[in-house]
Amino acid sequence: MQSWRRRKSLWLILSASWLLLVLLGGFSLLRLALPSRPRPGAPQGWPRWLDAELLQSFSQAGELPEDAASPQAPHGGSCNWGACFDTSKCRGDGLKVFVYPASGPISETHHRILASIEGSRFHTFSPAGACLLLLLSLDAQTGECSSMPLQWNRGRNHLVLRLHPAPCPKTFQLGQAMVAEASPTVDSFRPGFDVALPFLPEAHPLRGGAPGQLQQHSPQPGITLLALEEERGGWRTADTGSSACPWDARCEQDPGPGQTQRGETLPNATFCLISGHRPEAASRFLQALQAGCIPVLLSPRWELPFSEVIDWTKAAIVADERLPLQVLAALQEMSPARVLALRQQTQFLWDAYFSSVEKVIHTTLEVIQDRIFGTSAHPSLLWNSPPGALLALSTFSTSPQDFPFYHLQQGSRPEGRFSALIWVGPPGQPPLKLIQAVAGSQHCAQILVLWSNERPLPSSWPETAMPLTVIDGHRKVSDRFFPYSTIRTDAILSLDARSSLSTSEVDFAFVVWQSFPERMVGFLTSSHFWDEAHGGWGYTAERTNEFSMVLTTAAFYHRYYHTLFTHSLPKALRTLADEAPTCVDVLMNFLVAAVTKLPPIKVPYGKQRQEAAPLASGGPGPRSKPQAAAPDCVNQIAAAFGHMPLLSSRLRLDPVLFKDPVSVQRKKYRSLEKP
Amino acid sequence: MFTLPQKDFSAPTTCLGPACMQDLGSSHGDDLEGECSRKLDQKLPELPGVGDSAMFSPDTSYLSSRGRMIKWFWDSAEEGYRTYHMDEYDENKNPSGIINLGVSENKLCFDLLSWRLSQSDMQRVEPSLLQYADWRGHLFLREEVAKFLSFYCKSPAPLRPENECEKEAVCVIMCASVKYNIRGPALIPRMKTKHRIYYITLFSIVLLGLIATGMFQFWPHSIESSNDWNVEKRSVRDVPVVRLPADSPIPERGDLSCRMHTCFDVYRCGFNPKNKIKVYIYALKKYVDDFGVPVSNTISREYNELLTAISDSDYYTDDINRACLFVPSIDVLNQNTLRIKETAQALAQLSRWDRGTNHLLFNMLPGGPPDYNTALDVPRDRALLAGGGFSTWTYRQGYDVSIPVYSPLSAEVDLPEKGPGPRRYFLISSQVGLHPEYREDLEALQVKHGESVLVLDKCTNLSEGGLSIRKRCHKHQVFDYPQVLQEATFCVVLRGARLGQAILSDVLQAGCVPVVIADSYILPFSEVLDWKRASVVVPEEKMSDVYSILQSIPQRQIEEMQRQARWFWEAYFQSIKAIALATLQIINDRIYPYAAISYEEWNDPPAVKWGSVSNPLFLPLIPPQSQGFTAIVLTYDRVESLFRVITEVSKVPSLSKLLVVWNNQNKNPPEDSLWPKIRVPLKVVRTAENKLSNRFFPYDEIETEAVLAIDDDIIMLTSDELQFGYEVWREFPDRLVGYPGRLHLWDHEMNKWKYESEWTNEVSMVLTGAAFYHKYFNYLYTYKMPGDIKNWVDAHMNCEDIAMNFLVANVTGKAVIKVTPRKKFKCPECTAIDGLSLDQTHMVERSECINKFASVFGTMPLKVVEHRADPVLYKDDFPEKLKSFPNIGSL
Repeated sequence: MQSWRRRKSLWLILSASWLLLVLLGGFSLLRLALPSRPRPGAPQGWPRWLDAELLQSFSQAGELPEDAASPQAPHGGSCNWGACFDTSKCRGDGLKVFVYPASGPISETHHRILASIEGSRFHTFSPAGACLLLLLSLDAQTGECSSMPLQWNRGRNHLVLRLHPAPCPKTFQLGQAMVAEASPTVDSFRPGFDVALPFLPEAHPLRGGAPGQLQQHSPQPGITLLALEEERGGWRTADTGSSACPWDARCEQDPGPGQTQRGETLPNATFCLISGHRPEAASRFLQALQAGCIPVLLSPRWELPFSEVIDWTKAAIVADERLPLQVLAALQEMSPARVLALRQQTQFLWDAYFSSVEKVIHTTLEVIQDRIFGTSAHPSLLWNSPPGALLALSTFSTSPQDFPFYHLQQGSRPEGRFSALIWVGPPGQPPLKLIQAVAGSQHCAQILVLWSNERPLPSSWPETAMPLTVIDGHRKVSDRFFPYSTIRTDAILSLDARSSLSTSEVDFAFVVWQSFPERMVGFLTSSHFWDEAHGGWGYTAERTNEFSMVLTTAAFYHRYYHTLFTHSLPKALRTLADEAPTCVDVLMNFLVAAVTKLPPIKVPYGKQRQEAAPLASGGPGPRSKPQAAAPDCVNQIAAAFGHMPLLSSRLRLDPVLFKDPVSVQRKKYRSLEKP
Repeated sequence: MFTLPQKDFSAPTTCLGPACMQDLGSSHGDDLEGECSRKLDQKLPELPGVGDSAMFSPDTSYLSSRGRMIKWFWDSAEEGYRTYHMDEYDENKNPSGIINLGVSENKLCFDLLSWRLSQSDMQRVEPSLLQYADWRGHLFLREEVAKFLSFYCKSPAPLRPENECEKEAVCVIMCASVKYNIRGPALIPRMKTKHRIYYITLFSIVLLGLIATGMFQFWPHSIESSNDWNVEKRSVRDVPVVRLPADSPIPERGDLSCRMHTCFDVYRCGFNPKNKIKVYIYALKKYVDDFGVPVSNTISREYNELLTAISDSDYYTDDINRACLFVPSIDVLNQNTLRIKETAQALAQLSRWDRGTNHLLFNMLPGGPPDYNTALDVPRDRALLAGGGFSTWTYRQGYDVSIPVYSPLSAEVDLPEKGPGPRRYFLISSQVGLHPEYREDLEALQVKHGESVLVLDKCTNLSEGGLSIRKRCHKHQVFDYPQVLQEATFCVVLRGARLGQAILSDVLQAGCVPVVIADSYILPFSEVLDWKRASVVVPEEKMSDVYSILQSIPQRQIEEMQRQARWFWEAYFQSIKAIALATLQIINDRIYPYAAISYEEWNDPPAVKWGSVSNPLFLPLIPPQSQGFTAIVLTYDRVESLFRVITEVSKVPSLSKLLVVWNNQNKNPPEDSLWPKIRVPLKVVRTAENKLSNRFFPYDEIETEAVLAIDDDIIMLTSDELQFGYEVWREFPDRLVGYPGRLHLWDHEMNKWKYESEWTNEVSMVLTGAAFYHKYFNYLYTYKMPGDIKNWVDAHMNCEDIAMNFLVANVTGKAVIKVTPRKKFKCPECTAIDGLSLDQTHMVERSECINKFASVFGTMPLKVVEHRADPVLYKDDFPEKLKSFPNIGSL
């Protein structure tokens, strides 16, 4: 009985539900079935007013304020570039920096930093002629605080450089001085006026510095996704073995509880999460950068280093700390292409601007110089892609396509001609044969002869179709790499009067250079090696299976390297090259390798014969001990660079059909094949 | 995080938010923990399990991995949770009682629920739960349901658990059952089997009903739009009038210390899969004061355009609860037309004002006489200001947005683009109403430099006044404005009473490089636009030096700046719509920084974007030799030849793994014992389909960056050649490094590309029958191949190597590297196949491929080079035994 009643009530509910369904669902279905007429602005948005045409403009055309403001800058509480920096002193040579000598005893670091600035191209000894007066405030350990300097002038055109954030009690008012300090808080930082520095650890190398630690472009499969910074220092990684496999969505996950690893010095993870609150976390930031671990900053309260010029969105992720889980989800969904780009950018930035104290200081000065230069400052591209603004001088050009490095990004290509620059050393014979061989090349645009010996200039020069210019040099070996204004092409073929080349060789080498405009393309090579016995670098010009240098007595390279050689190398190094002429080759190779981070390129040299030997023995000039000086050179230059930039290569680029068993008639560079 | 009292959770509504996870964790953390994390790992591998009981324990070693994770995000997550518990049902702060952490957590919870419910143990019934007092189930469950429903149905009085509406309850009970870990079927009261069928029927009908209701609920327009089918006929004059009492509240003045992380409520934006903020526009109202006097002009043409642009964009939402940014329809573009106090009052009474949080005001003409403030004077508390004319003192870096002052002339005058190059005047000043001191300076310049400088002023002698805005005069010479700007290389943009000047827009339109002389002015969109590329900024005190400063700029750079200026105008100044969308994009980029638009996208003109190549492997980095490479052998059934290849390749010192891709579905690979014994791991991957693209799949087994693709019939390569090839790849990790080279040629007769395999002096491709490349290209080939190339290759069973060559050359802009001399590569016994490859039809097919791919890529990316790589001492007169790679090039 009861079951019947229940069944009845069930039926009742059933039919009621059907009714409901028909009423609601049917209505909607009917609506869907009907062809819907075009609806104005599908989701109801801002209405289209009927009288929109009649609306008045927000500003009436004739509306002009009657009383134009007086030409006085509006006043505010703090300094900005226009108001507090006087650029009138900086005309001409650009930025000239005077550094206040330290009062009293100074630490070794302080001393070396001073020396490094004094060696740079910015330095001047006269405070009156300086455009920027630099006050170093870094001796936190000794407890010495700098006092008010003499030419203080309310801090105008002063830069107070605080490398290590151990603040001295403020003994004097900063006034109008700019402050360059490590991780300034966002609130006190004056954008466009102050400079944000990285938070350097105490033991940061002064020069050179450790290279980035990334060994490969893409993350290892199975690497931890996220490492977290610990307050006590060190990192911990949630080692779940589940890296979200960026390469493939369907990869298997490894289950199991996560293990925490403590105290690891450098994180081996794709991303590194860094707190945004504590400025000390900024030192972790640098650490992550070096390790190639993409920094993820949650609402940083401190300004990122050199944020004025460095586009941090290319190397780090700055996110809102209030949405941490969303950030995590975004990291996991990030495309491999983006991860790849971010990782590589961390390494570039570390290497270009942060790996040594010297680089940090030079970057600071370069930032200020860019402000002074205004329109002729580095474009953003130069700051943010390899080799970076310290190595791409804006005094050379502000158009990226003038440099050898940015052709890809600019969609441009290097010029199709070259200038031959022939150095005529002491024997002083006009290199007639060589000139003819070079002039025979279809790519040659001009020939320059750099006459660098005591004999008078010969009156007659061989008849060539090529324009021939003779430059009277200063008898200095480093003259060879002076940026002569007469050089009009991108490519330079640097030659020694005693070199001997065939037209075919020149043609092929130039075609190769066009594919690698940032590298040196040479015929004869030498290499460096680590000499265990002497505990130093060794040098050999013998033919071996690998090489790391090409001799500049016959090599193609971009004319930009002349500018870089003359203007960016420390004076001491150029003096060294002048005193020991064999060094000039080594120095140029060091410079190009430090910029490109790649070995040079060797092309075939037809004449494997004895006369190659004097050519190979290094640079021109009086050769008392041709071979002996070279290893010293390598060691001295390596010490000055702070690291060994040279890289070895084991390959040579030959023409495609080089010595292939096919008729010589089919080959383009036939004379290369002659024995 | 979870400081709330351990009270009974009041409603299963929390299932919609992370609180659900809290529940799951706290009551049955142990048995769910392992499962949950595994489930979560599929998508969110390291997402926290919210709320372990040990959460407060200082020693985190007691925490699960999920627990630890959430602890890392401790304080921020806690804030949201506290807000939630202050008022669980607050209409505004917690619409639907959801903690608005974002959709991903909610989704997570649903995932968790559905996963939990689908487990086999849900079929088991706890005996204790089967003991019912009556047939309607346990009272405690019904209480929960009642609480939920009384909230959900917005019942005025709490429902009593005795008579809750059973229909909707069913699904809710499902939820609640998870909460109390009651096994599912136990909810259906104990009854005879034949009754069960009725319940099931009933249940399905209820479900249908719910679906119908859902349709009714979620398609409001299908019902409502019946009224809107006709175009809405509304006039601005008919908008509702709102009376503002004189004593209605006024917001605080703007807070100068505001930053995104302090004044902006990012929770409202939550997580959006599209990474796009949602913008709500308030309905238009007319505000009057106590005496019926209107507060301002209702709306200007530009503001109407601006709101229309937002409303038409992807950012717009008409759901105020889902909005992240609110735009009032109160027009404050021009401060002169406003009554400041009353406008502020009008703002304060907006329904979601809340101290101006997440409100965006647009203003182009700030300040008023005599001192002309550089920001809007209307008190606006925390509201964001998109202002035209900010100075460094009023601009809140990273919070406000600096926008241009729109020039209405743009709509009237059509200035066709004029190519860069020298122009008649070097420097021109066309502003009127300049301060006399500035004018003196300019005229001094004109005197000094003569013809090349032109200083214009308003015309005094013109009879018709209406046109005078479009005319400028110098002495008695009349010029058309703005056309005259196109005659000049540089155009002065001086500070007037206000810092932001509409003339900037005119100047950019004319492709004239603006010379901005306005100290402390924040240039429009300076947060993202690189103004160094399009303008010259000169300090006011350097005005007399302007000419020499400008002359020091090289001509090429000037032309670049002219192009850039015109491009900025086209992209960001041209219309009110462009200004509005750029503003919203900037704010969007701040909220979703990981999806932000890059510098290049903001600044590079389209021509540069097209021409440039950004190499994905741009860092010059030579990988260490120790990493080695993975060889991938694609095979079908030539086992004997395959084994020879494996044996040969295994001799290469740098080989670290060998992967055989078995492409034959009809035949099993040989047994383990039959494979050659080699020193490195060998893995066989069986594929689901016989496709050529299987060769380029990014297998997880590939652990090295370098990949050697090799066919199962390439037995002629010596280990020296392979080892050398690997070392060449290390120097060129971003290129294809291969052995047999090929060339593409333009066939002038046929007017199309031709494939060439003869002995040529050039190469542009290498065959992937034997080639080294970076494993990233596998990912690109499989997932990012443009057009239908991948399918086309699979369908034709040909040209996968040409496709790879195109792909790599296109993405890197670099040529291939051919290694070592040419030689016969195929095995001697495979002459038949060799013959086939020389077959004419084969060449025709390959040529077809090149033409097809070139049309899909829209360009010919392949680069031709004349060089190949050999060992340093190759064929040199040098003792063979001292060479590193002696065995190269011998046939």
